[in-house]
Amino acid sequence: MNTALLFQSLVLGVLLGGLYALLAAGLTLYFGVMRVVMIAHSAFLILAAYIAWYFNQQTGWDPLFSLLITVPLFFGIGVGMQRLLITRLRPATLTMMSVLLTFAIALFIEGMIGFVWSGTQRRIQLPYSGDSINFLGASVAVVKLMAFALAALSLALLYLLMKKSRFGQALRATIQHKEAAQLVGIRTDRVAGLGFGLGLATAAIGGTALSLDATIYPSLHWHWIGPLMAIIVVGGLGSIPGTAIAAMVLGIGQSLLQVPLGTTWAQTLFYVALFATLMLRPQGFFGGRLAQRF
Amino acid sequence: MPSASDTRSSTAPDDTTGPGGAGRPAGAGPWRGRLTTGRLIRLGAFLVCAALLLSFPSMAPNPYILSAGVVVLSYACTATAWNFMGGFTGYVSLGHAAFFGLGAYSTALLIRDLELSPFVAWLLGGVVVLVVTIPVGVAALRVRGASFVIVSISFVLITLLVFQGWDAFTGGSNGLVVPRPFPELLRPEHHRVFFYLFAALLGVMLLAWWAIDRSQFGMGLKAVREDEDKAQALGVPTRNYKLAAYLISGTFTGLAGGMYALWFGDLDPIFQFSIMLGAYMVLMALLGGVRHLFGPLLGALIVGSALEYFKMEFGDTQLHLVATALLLALVVLFMPDGIIPAARDLVRRFGPQQSSIREMTAAELLERNREAAAEAAARTAGGTAAGGTAGDGDRTDDGGTDGAGAAGSGKEEER
Repeated sequence: MNTALLFQSLVLGVLLGGLYALLAAGLTLYFGVMRVVMIAHSAFLILAAYIAWYFNQQTGWDPLFSLLITVPLFFGIGVGMQRLLITRLRPATLTMMSVLLTFAIALFIEGMIGFVWSGTQRRIQLPYSGDSINFLGASVAVVKLMAFALAALSLALLYLLMKKSRFGQALRATIQHKEAAQLVGIRTDRVAGLGFGLGLATAAIGGTALSLDATIYPSLHWHWIGPLMAIIVVGGLGSIPGTAIAAMVLGIGQSLLQVPLGTTWAQTLFYVALFATLMLRPQGFFGGRLAQRF
Repeated sequence: MPSASDTRSSTAPDDTTGPGGAGRPAGAGPWRGRLTTGRLIRLGAFLVCAALLLSFPSMAPNPYILSAGVVVLSYACTATAWNFMGGFTGYVSLGHAAFFGLGAYSTALLIRDLELSPFVAWLLGGVVVLVVTIPVGVAALRVRGASFVIVSISFVLITLLVFQGWDAFTGGSNGLVVPRPFPELLRPEHHRVFFYLFAALLGVMLLAWWAIDRSQFGMGLKAVREDEDKAQALGVPTRNYKLAAYLISGTFTGLAGGMYALWFGDLDPIFQFSIMLGAYMVLMALLGGVRHLFGPLLGALIVGSALEYFKMEFGDTQLHLVATALLLALVVLFMPDGIIPAARDLVRRFGPQQSSIREMTAAELLERNREAAAEAAARTAGGTAAGGTAGDGDRTDDGGTDGAGAAGSGKEEER
């Protein structure tokens, strides 16, 4: 592998890692506020991508404008899902049953996408789809750069919201210690609902970013959920910085391995990392007690 | 409670069925008789169901229905195998399809490459799955709850990737043809033979589940399900028990997969390592009731027949995904314990009522207890007089303590 190629895949890996980081941050939010592993996250991701594609088909406008619809819509769905479905489950078996429930939601979304828009592969054609920018010798597609910029911007916004706002403080308190948060007067059920909405909003943004660059089909979400879940376990469940670092490392690793191994085998990196993590540090590399706080 | 009342002498007042005071106006003798009729009914129902199941091949109107029956029975095998882990320990694995696929592929590859006879290959395939399950189980069982589910899903995704990618060995997406074990048989006969083979495998699994359910090992596993930390504190070797349950579950799933390979004769990674198959196993077991021996079988009969019906009526559309999703969500939200407990509750509701209001007056109760005490005293010649007086003393209180007082007298009579 020559250096130009290496650098090229490194840049692509960083761009991919940014998208992974945003999506994994959403998964971490759900886990933080409710101890729920949201299998349907990537199904919502694909749904957002489909909405962006449909929006582009119908109006001819740039798919980025569909964010104005999908972000509030997904936020509302997230709040509703937490308030109406997740809280109905018994606390004793919440973790296991919520996995099954969100799995059912994922299947439902996959089935409905296939039903409404058929199983045909879709792709958005944009005037700037084929353009690329030369960045220090590596040629980077504009759409990939836009997707990364969108992801990075949303992550930064999320970070500011969590760190600076009063709501973010309440959210972090809920994640750290629910009962204590209740004692100081935080309405944790409400905060948990909003946290869920926030997590689902990341799926809306990620899906739109994905639609710029990828060919989409209903069962695509299975290709995303595996890597994303590997990332959150490797990073340590509940730790946003941990997942961001794991997302970057694994995204770059996948991109680098794609050159010698091809796309199929490069994906196994995530699972190898997952099993290695379980054997070495089951709580994840950045998990454990400290990682529960930001 | 019934087992406690079984050991009591027939003269004990019936209020001893529980300190909750749900008195049934019947002595212990009739109660014991009802238990045996209950057992007889159960045994009869079991025999009728087994006979119906075994006579299905001769009743099936055409080979298509028969093949659908084989599919449903293979679902029942996988769901029951899943229940060794999911039912006993409460660890929900969404990735058991990986064991199914591994069993199917190792059976097929052993026949193809080593030219073993089909059923030797099938057994060896089970051994292969067992060997693969050990490291996976050790890794997966280091975590609990959510992480375990993640690992199980990852396992099925990774096996799918490997079996699709390694096409020189597995045939990849082109599929793999398994030689038929009985080349001389015609299609319908072939279905019939495999129907009985699957039924035999299911029988072995049910027997094993039943035996574990009654053993100390099963008790330890159930302790893990209820509270793993407390079980560990009480000295249950939780890690080894969980691993053993995982191995049993994985191996049985692999054997079901191997049998499927021999029957169906054509393998494709997409279908063998399908996450949907793992989801069906969970759905069937949950729908029937994971804490019951026949729960997964019942769930498989319902879900499996529905799936086959859907396939026949609507073909392979996206609708069956939606239907599966809705059913799974409904079960998880409203019936997480399954049909069997729900049905039992319903029978209790419309069956003989256990009213919380006692149906006899305090005076009648006093009279009956006195008679019972006197009888007991006459029988054991004065040894139980203390029991009678203890009951007398309590009876002056309000209704709530009556049961407890009577229970106390009952216990003293036992000594």
